[in-house]
Amino acid sequence: MHTLQINRINRTNKGSVGAVAASLFKRCAQILLTLLGASVLIWAMLPLAPGDPALRTLQALGLENPREAEVQAMRRELRLDRPLWRQYGAWLARAMRGDLSVSWQSGRPVRDELVKRLPATARLAFVTLLMALALALALALVGAAFAGGWPDRAMKLLTQLGASAPAFLLGLLLLQFVVPRSGVGRVLSSGTMADVWLPAFCLAIGRASDWAQLLRAGLIEALGARYTLVAAARGASKLRLLARYALPNALLPFLSAVGTGVGYLLGGVAIIEAVFTWPGLGGYVISAITARDLPVIQGFVIFSALTFVAATMLTDVASAMIDPRLREAARR
Amino acid sequence: MRDASALTVGRALPLPAAATRGVWRRLLKRRSAQGGFALASLLAMAVIIGPFFLSHRPEQTNPAQKLQPPSFSHPLGTDQFGRDQLARLLDGGRRSLGAAMIVLAGVLFISLIVGVAAGMMGGIADTATMRLLDVVLALPSIALALAVVGVMGVGYWNLSLALTASSWAYYARLARSCARLASARLDVIADRLAGVGWPRVAAGHVIPGVAIQLLIVATLDLSGVIVGIAGLSFLGLGAQPPDAEWGAMLAESRLYFTVAPWLLLAPATAIFLSVVAANLIGNALRDAADTGSAQ
Repeated sequence: MHTLQINRINRTNKGSVGAVAASLFKRCAQILLTLLGASVLIWAMLPLAPGDPALRTLQALGLENPREAEVQAMRRELRLDRPLWRQYGAWLARAMRGDLSVSWQSGRPVRDELVKRLPATARLAFVTLLMALALALALALVGAAFAGGWPDRAMKLLTQLGASAPAFLLGLLLLQFVVPRSGVGRVLSSGTMADVWLPAFCLAIGRASDWAQLLRAGLIEALGARYTLVAAARGASKLRLLARYALPNALLPFLSAVGTGVGYLLGGVAIIEAVFTWPGLGGYVISAITARDLPVIQGFVIFSALTFVAATMLTDVASAMIDPRLREAARR
Repeated sequence: MRDASALTVGRALPLPAAATRGVWRRLLKRRSAQGGFALASLLAMAVIIGPFFLSHRPEQTNPAQKLQPPSFSHPLGTDQFGRDQLARLLDGGRRSLGAAMIVLAGVLFISLIVGVAAGMMGGIADTATMRLLDVVLALPSIALALAVVGVMGVGYWNLSLALTASSWAYYARLARSCARLASARLDVIADRLAGVGWPRVAAGHVIPGVAIQLLIVATLDLSGVIVGIAGLSFLGLGAQPPDAEWGAMLAESRLYFTVAPWLLLAPATAIFLSVVAANLIGNALRDAADTGSAQ
């Protein structure tokens, strides 16, 4: 994805604050242009898909068999009688104001439908992310601390199994075999914190396994580096070597993997929500796809693209905060 | 002009194919790769030639034999229409694993053409392609796949198309950077100086090496593709009844779980084994390719 570009700035600008600001500005402009391009793709779903948006909108608003004049009026209102590029312009202008048209199923504004379901999805995604990060960190530290020993081998086996267990399959098996018998969790989720653990666990396992393998490899490499050797020679404890010397150096590739992992997470959320009947965005968009409810799908894609871009930017900022070399590079 | 490439030094230089030969040998030495290949060929054989040895057809219903537990004549039992679950499992495997192959083949084909063309032409075509790829890559791949299915409608082929559309951009960017590296190689420059047109240089000197690189990455992604197909089919976006497909079979079996739990276990195990096989090969390949590269 967008790899770190803060260090790639124009060289003529010597002022340190100015250089950072210039690179940030350039990066933001680039992201805005990319998002503008993405908006064309997202809008293009409407003219590409079969079915007249004006007719579908009227039907959603309760007119089963609208008269021709009404359809024409709606076409004018949605600017569908204009050339394609002006249709796009009108769509983008409305989308920027937060007006994503109405759902073709319910007739209610797509924005309201999405906002209503957002908290449940955010809760699930947040808990999943925390769980995956904690698991990955713990497994990787154990693996690197006992590299080659039995805890390391156990960790390797666990992460390989975890990476091979598809989240939806894990969720399905847990729901069918474990939940009804043990009384842990519920088959029909309420979308509250009490029910979040099971779906979050299913979703977190795969990411955690990937990230743990990556972080363990980075840690072991850092433990073999010269600066760690020097620190060890100066009498640093094993724990200090790991936490103070190896971890910060291994964290960068890990962080960028986490950044792109958020994109996978959004997709995974859609599937796991449908499995657990979690009342969030994901399950909603899946039902919208079966009903060919395009405005809702568009809304979901816009939401995921914005989240994805935001996550990538956050990762970049976090990397620059962790690694002084990146900040130095931006100043030079 | 026709003999130009034979006159250049290009043919005498080692081609990337020679460099990757070592990867293959190192790969086969690894135990996890051996296990992965064994499992993968077992699954492929079962799915491809297995159905010929079965007396039941996957679509053959039998109302008298609904939801039968595993027995001698139906090793995996029967489903709600009395169809043989083993026959459906193998038939479904053709669709599930076939879709994964279709998606990867499609992705490799498109990204090779786009990436190599952009990388070798350079200039404004390259810049334009890169900006387009940035745009596509700004959308998370599952969101993109869902959007394509939303436009095209659900179905086996549409889902395969959607997964192809959602992952080609990443490969195209990789192909482009590999092609850029390759166009700086001596054999390619010599060919160009000898007046060989770039499509021919691409076909003879650039694409073989780039294709291997993409193939390695594709192998790493294989398990993700299998899970994607099964997962989205499970949600009803892929193969539609009465067609068998592992994800779709899981969804159907869920309804009859209390009376026939074995219906759920068969496709679940099949998906899991496929993913394990793909991961074993992928991990071994990653290690083998890592030690080989001099970077």
